[in-house]
Amino acid sequence: MIEFHHVWKQYQKPHWALSDVSLEIRRGEFCFITGPSGSGKTTLLKLIFRELFPTEGQILIDGVNTLKIPEHRIYKLRRKMGIVFQDFRLLFHRTVIENVALPLRILGLADKEIRRRVFNALRQVNLHHKMWDFPQRLSYGEQQRVAIARAIVHQPTIILADEPTGNLDPELAFEIMSIFKEINQQGATVVIGSHDRELIRHFGDKIYFLQKGKLIGKEERR
Amino acid sequence: MIFRQIWFLLKTAVDNLWSFRSRNFISVLIISFSFLVIGIFLSLSNNLLYMGQQLSNNLAISFFLEPGIKTADLENIKSEILASGLVEQITFVSSEDALSRFRSNFPELKEILDNLQSNPFPPSFEVRLKNNLQNLPATLYFMERIRRLKGVIDVQFNQEWVEKMESLSRIVRAVGFFLGSILILASFFIISNVVRLNVFARKNEIEILRLVGATNTFIRIPFLVEGFVLGLLGSLVSLLILALLIKIFPIYIGSTLGAARELFTLKPLTMKQSLWLVVGGIFTGILGSGSSVSRFLRI
Repeated sequence: MIEFHHVWKQYQKPHWALSDVSLEIRRGEFCFITGPSGSGKTTLLKLIFRELFPTEGQILIDGVNTLKIPEHRIYKLRRKMGIVFQDFRLLFHRTVIENVALPLRILGLADKEIRRRVFNALRQVNLHHKMWDFPQRLSYGEQQRVAIARAIVHQPTIILADEPTGNLDPELAFEIMSIFKEINQQGATVVIGSHDRELIRHFGDKIYFLQKGKLIGKEERR
Repeated sequence: MIFRQIWFLLKTAVDNLWSFRSRNFISVLIISFSFLVIGIFLSLSNNLLYMGQQLSNNLAISFFLEPGIKTADLENIKSEILASGLVEQITFVSSEDALSRFRSNFPELKEILDNLQSNPFPPSFEVRLKNNLQNLPATLYFMERIRRLKGVIDVQFNQEWVEKMESLSRIVRAVGFFLGSILILASFFIISNVVRLNVFARKNEIEILRLVGATNTFIRIPFLVEGFVLGLLGSLVSLLILALLIKIFPIYIGSTLGAARELFTLKPLTMKQSLWLVVGGIFTGILGSGSSVSRFLRI
């Protein structure tokens, strides 16, 4: 489903953020990308949803070379994905329900259907009682769950999450990871960038280890 | 589905205008002050134009005719004058009319007139020209042609004054064009930057929309609608302030400027000018907004 073929990424010479990374994530896998800070986890995730272009190499999603998708068609790729950003990227002047409904508004669904799906997504992250609140009134963990609800509401086939449990206490981190596992069991492919060894050990089916931009190992548990 | 999306985008634009109301309020004020400067300039040039027209209304030529001119010659001269296309109004002044006009204008000379044996005033055609100062060569040619007609004995026309008016009007037009172009460019620059700053403050929102799969059109439309509304409101507010200024200004300057007062009077904008100002506001708002969003839509 997601294939990297000899991918290199350089922001600034002479350092390489990613060096010759090749990997494959199959449909329905629960995959972790791990490594210390600055190892290239975020870069790798950003390359998947084409927020970045690789300096060299090819990236295929569902057999389509993402580099060849024209700029005005990139939305088609992103609609297949649900992305949870490290900084959540919520709209602070919109309520929780409006934030979560955004991907569905973009798809042009009917109001009734939007309400039904948003409520289900918020119930899944256990935040349906705060749907009319504005994000700034929510705690850090709650904001994170809004971001997750927004990422799953349109039932994407790929979920990407960058450090979704960073700065959360272990109990909450475990709860959030369980939500991802549940979504994965419903059929979505989940790719998570994290350096939390405990969570990786507990949840990961497939783990890729990065260090200084190089893929130094892979572990499969299925 | 399309209507649903359009409805959502319009609603989003209105929500955004309200959510960022303080920032939008300042944008509207800046836009309106920029347009106010253009409006004041237009208003002053309207006044200059009006003064020019008033002056050129006085442009008249008198064709003096032979005393006892034959009716056929008279008719011929009249039809030649009318055929030129330069004439706004033509009046025949008979010798008697000229004498009585002189009497009423100079009552102190009554005795001299009473002692005259015959009427010394020749009949004449008084011709008022159209407001067309650019047409001096044509006017001179027209005068010369009429002067040569049978029955015309003299022509009276202040050529020097016309030439001065013509050069003054040319200077006013050139300065107006120069200042007007600078003002319009400067205002366009200010307004598009205000709208751009507005968009820049929301680049995070644009990024989020892109990453959740919105098309460029979907992202652009609310910003264009917001640009449209800001431009429209800005230009309308400027027209409102200008209308107030036109009302208040004469009271404020009072009689302090004396004779120069006429020169600094603000004349209301014409309907066409007001419409252009509003169209300019809308255009600048949409263009500023659209170009700024496009910058963030490129990866």
